[in-house]
Amino acid sequence: MNLFRTSLSIWLWLLASYSFIFLVSANDGNDMYHNDLYARGNGSSSSHTNNWAVLVCSSRYWFNYRHMANALGMYRTVKRLGIPDSNIILMLADDAACNSRNKFPASVYANPGRHLDLYGENIEVDYRGYEVTVENFLRVLTGRLDESIPRSKRLLTDRNSNIFVYMTGHGGKEFLKFQDNEEISAHDIADAFEQMWQGGRYNEIFFMIDTCQANTMYSQFYSPNILATGASLEGENSYSHENDNDVGVSVIDSYTHYVLQYMERVNKTSKLTMGDLFTSFSVPKIGSHPGVRSDLFQRPLGGGDAMLKYGTGEGWRELGEWVGREQEPLKVRQAQTGERRAALVTDFFGGVVDVDIGEDTDQVESSASEVKQPAIKGSPKPPQRTRQTLPRNPGLPKGLPSVRAWASFLLIGVIVSAVYVQR
Amino acid sequence: MDGPRNPSTIFFQYERIRRSIIASYWIVIILAIPLWWQTTSIERLSLPSSEVYAQAEAHRGFQLPVRIILDSEFTKRDNSLALEVQTVLKDSSALDIRVSGSSGRSEGDSYLVLPSESQEIRVEGRELFFPLEKASASVLAKTLASFILPDKDHRVVQYSPRYRLSFSLLNEDSSGGQVVEAWDASNGIARHIEPITSALSVLHNFTIESQAQFYAPLAFEPLKLSEDEAYGLTPEQLTVFVNSAEWTLSSSSSNDPVLHFLLFVPSASRRPLKILNKEGKPTNSNSFLIPQWGGIVIANLPESPSKIRLSTDDLKSSFTTFSQQLLTLLGVPRLSSGAVRSRQQPTGWQIDALLRYRAIENVVRTSDTLRSTVSLVEQIPNMPVGEKVRNDVRDALKALKSLSSSSNMTLTGILATSRDALTLSQKAFFHPGMLALLYFPVEHKYAVYTPLFASAIIPLVVAAMREVVAWRKQRRGVQVPQG
Repeated sequence: MNLFRTSLSIWLWLLASYSFIFLVSANDGNDMYHNDLYARGNGSSSSHTNNWAVLVCSSRYWFNYRHMANALGMYRTVKRLGIPDSNIILMLADDAACNSRNKFPASVYANPGRHLDLYGENIEVDYRGYEVTVENFLRVLTGRLDESIPRSKRLLTDRNSNIFVYMTGHGGKEFLKFQDNEEISAHDIADAFEQMWQGGRYNEIFFMIDTCQANTMYSQFYSPNILATGASLEGENSYSHENDNDVGVSVIDSYTHYVLQYMERVNKTSKLTMGDLFTSFSVPKIGSHPGVRSDLFQRPLGGGDAMLKYGTGEGWRELGEWVGREQEPLKVRQAQTGERRAALVTDFFGGVVDVDIGEDTDQVESSASEVKQPAIKGSPKPPQRTRQTLPRNPGLPKGLPSVRAWASFLLIGVIVSAVYVQR
Repeated sequence: MDGPRNPSTIFFQYERIRRSIIASYWIVIILAIPLWWQTTSIERLSLPSSEVYAQAEAHRGFQLPVRIILDSEFTKRDNSLALEVQTVLKDSSALDIRVSGSSGRSEGDSYLVLPSESQEIRVEGRELFFPLEKASASVLAKTLASFILPDKDHRVVQYSPRYRLSFSLLNEDSSGGQVVEAWDASNGIARHIEPITSALSVLHNFTIESQAQFYAPLAFEPLKLSEDEAYGLTPEQLTVFVNSAEWTLSSSSSNDPVLHFLLFVPSASRRPLKILNKEGKPTNSNSFLIPQWGGIVIANLPESPSKIRLSTDDLKSSFTTFSQQLLTLLGVPRLSSGAVRSRQQPTGWQIDALLRYRAIENVVRTSDTLRSTVSLVEQIPNMPVGEKVRNDVRDALKALKSLSSSSNMTLTGILATSRDALTLSQKAFFHPGMLALLYFPVEHKYAVYTPLFASAIIPLVVAAMREVVAWRKQRRGVQVPQG
């Protein structure tokens, strides 16, 4: 049976690859016009014309204050950098600002001094409270919403859209909890992204996640043009950054805090690259080991030599996790010959890329001339740590889950037969 | 009391009753299995996959007929001109192009190339006036190619049956001395925009809205130019010109794509506001276009008076620019240089070219969407496929087939069919029922089912086994005395 199945799948695979080759060659041969007219954006140039953001805080309750602050901090940043509210989908339990335990009603702060009220005056939460569900999140991404859903709750992207997806909450290996009620797995997000790609719903995606074992959440992606980063390795917790004694809980997570701090250096016309952002990650400060995944992404990340040495230096036990490290030198060479432009932070956070003043304006080549290393503000006092996760799940080698499943099945059989034999 | 009672004297331990109790449990379980199966399985109707893949192959052979008739004046000068032009055109496009010499009669859908009296190339409806002396095969072919099928342009918006056009008058800061109180937008739209929208009504359905705002600050400081009292916008600043955080540009009442047109009045203290080129020198242009988004015109008005109403005449140049931007955004092909536009803005040639472009685009998008739908359903085993989805896929396929089989459709009919096919395929792909159920690894299933069922099933299994064993023993016991 097993042999039969294996050979069948091999045959199917061969057939599929054959037909694919056939399709491609047929395509090459006779129809240059269609290829040209409808070529998908392959990231060779910045072909996006609009920016979108999906920001998800998947926790609720007062003690998860910091997750709401994370999402609101990102919201503030993407808005400041030019993504309009109509293009931001904010999913938030939103029970912190008006919580009866909140000593500062209608405010959410992300720093102990309470300098900046993130709740401000112009917040548009699109999915609130119990609307923050796995189903709604997947529906927003894939566009499979009921006709009655209003425009503000829809991700109306097309194949020229760059999307920034930010998630925060409690999670574990390959899952993220939604409001203590359900979970989304890495497979679900990967499948949703594939459906978006097939449906022509994005040009490029930048996926960022701050949760425990965050890097496992992007491990299942398989669709093109996705750049991903996470806060912590498999089997590792992500930590909160600081407490505010008056608010009484942790106010922000460490990884998000340092990302936001870096983003404060970015303005709308900034030429800072994604590589610059990634190289700014400091393990001693963040407390966990952030990861990057760029093997699905076409363009180089920029950041120069510092990026090529990503994951070395202070705080890194071993070479940091960067899936796609090997492809990077090739991408960098292509960038030098002008084929591909390095990914800028503003490609995912900013507004449009180019305008047309009668005659075509060429792309201004990026020169990372701005500040590369953020100066460290304040005293480097070690941040207070709060555990943020469910019990950790030790990494299992591939194939073990099914062995375990069969073992449990056998066990039941053994128990039943033991009873039988005893009779 | 004399110890525990003999079980066989308890009424529910009578053999028959005990066995029927155990049996009734099992009957309930066995009867419930189909119900459980029914409620936990996903409805996955089979989609016509092979047809979809075959159609995806077939659409590459999809050709739209184009008939061009050269006037006898041309063929008189050069007998083989028609054939040569056809050869050149065939090389460059996927259309079924036939060029012929004049046969004295003109068919309904064909395009005429007539000799021009003057040196200029002129377009009038479906007629092209071309100077006889210039008419070599390559020049004629090049001119015709631009009329027949436009090139791909990244500025053109994706096709949608409906668009909303939003016209906004933005005073940067009306407290700064001068305020444009009102503008005669309805007249401007009637004069400059409606001719286009009505000419393109076969392609799109337009909804138009307009507004005026009195405070629309920029998110950056324009450069102060040193040489004269002027301010400039660098190309980089143009990309972040639209301050969408603070400007409310369109109502969100529908899901149709919006094309924005902004008339921006800089505050009195920042005039004139000029657009700079890459070298930092001011250009003569006062407008720019954001691909697939809309167009912006900067109006540097004279300083006085302090309150202005913009009349139709004042708005003439702005709305002319808007109309040009609208044409660009919708993908109406530009007439190549040297061609003089006729009185009617988009000529028959241009509209036909756009119809062809959109029809081919729709056919390609439809078959792509269908293929994606089918391959996703194959790829994701948990994805439900309901009856509506299947019907939509079938109908879209039918529409595509009718396109490739019928040769006597008008161009408008072809577009309408391709649009229906696209809408249906999109409806199938984005059907709310097509949401894959959550991914559950095998461990999760065990984790869910074991605590629920194992505790109940094991005693039942064991009880059944004991009963069977007892029954067999009993039978043997009965049989032994007999033997």
